[in-house]
Amino acid sequence: MIPTDDLISALAANLRPVRRLRPPLLRATGFLLLAALILTMIATAHGWRPGLLVRLAEIRFALSLTGAVFTGILAAFAAFVVSLPGRSRHWLWLPLPSLALWLFSIGYQCLNFWTPLVPGAPPGEMASCIATLVLTSLPLSLALALMLRHAALFDPAPVILAASLSVAGITAAALTLFHPLDASIEILMFNLGTGSLIVLSGGAISLFVSNASEKPQ
Amino acid sequence: MTTPPALKLVRGEAALPPQVQELDWSILMARAQDGDANAYRRLLESIAPYLRAHAVRCHRNPSDVEDAVQDILLTLHAVRATYDPARPFGPWLTAIAKRRLIDRLRRQGRRRALETESDPIHETFADRSANLEHMTHIHDIAAALDRLPPGQREALRLTKIEGLSLKEASAASGMSVAALKVATHRAIRRLRSFFSGGSET
Repeated sequence: MIPTDDLISALAANLRPVRRLRPPLLRATGFLLLAALILTMIATAHGWRPGLLVRLAEIRFALSLTGAVFTGILAAFAAFVVSLPGRSRHWLWLPLPSLALWLFSIGYQCLNFWTPLVPGAPPGEMASCIATLVLTSLPLSLALALMLRHAALFDPAPVILAASLSVAGITAAALTLFHPLDASIEILMFNLGTGSLIVLSGGAISLFVSNASEKPQ
Repeated sequence: MTTPPALKLVRGEAALPPQVQELDWSILMARAQDGDANAYRRLLESIAPYLRAHAVRCHRNPSDVEDAVQDILLTLHAVRATYDPARPFGPWLTAIAKRRLIDRLRRQGRRRALETESDPIHETFADRSANLEHMTHIHDIAAALDRLPPGQREALRLTKIEGLSLKEASAASGMSVAALKVATHRAIRRLRSFFSGGSET
């Protein structure tokens, strides 16, 4: 161990100017604009789902879509705020009402669980549906990982959870808008599952590393 | 009634009220973010005692405390871009410090779970005599042995402490087997009388 004074000198000597992060709400807005851009691109390339306007008039459908969209937006805000040291953890509650709305409106799906294809869907719909999933969630997850990477050094778990919730909401909304399927539960499970997997594997790796480095000689 | 004006001598930064100090830290950090190495050094030197005070509450071992302080300083360095000079510095710093200290305590807890603490009472020494049972009496016994006549002491040492057979003891000491038997018997009787508090006969 080097003396603390030497460490301070070394840190000060190697100091490079850094660009301050912009306010979290501004950065979250930037992220959401990126999400909107991706959705617009998919909409122009693929087109809306057939009979979207008819479905939007259904209260349950509209609630589900609203819940998913708001969960995506609010969870993104929560992730950006909580990723900063010294901000209140209570921000994590922010997406919960819309998440409850979303979950409440998709509850009926549990009955036909894991059957994402509605009967009579055109062939090739499955592949196109998965393409939408990947095209939405992958760039968004990468963007969030890049924008929130500083949290990895500070306190990653709640940030990863909020971020994956946000991606799940946006992806589910995209799927609802473009495909005649309701796979919200699957998307939610997939995204939160991935988020939890990242948290757990991070924990396992740090456990392994700390055990290896602290093993007595 | 007016209070007379009082002149206070302020020595060092530690005597400043916390708000002033925090404002200072905030300004220093803002300058450090712009690349001012001097401001950064002053900031780190000034917060180190504060961090140490936090760390002392979690660790007893002084080297653990210094480790924790350095851990916090390194994290602070890595995430210094996240500080917003428009907001107070204290909560930002405290959040980082708390996070690191909690992480360290968790890691320490895991490490302890794999280790068995050894009680001083179980400690043993290279010297074989230290491992005898009833160590509390060992000094009394040694003193009693010293009080025996040399012949009896030698006989007792060979036959009872070193555990030689009479024949071996006889070869080692040059005493006859019969003499050894008698000497050992007398030595034991005498020792018994020492410890029962009776007089020597």
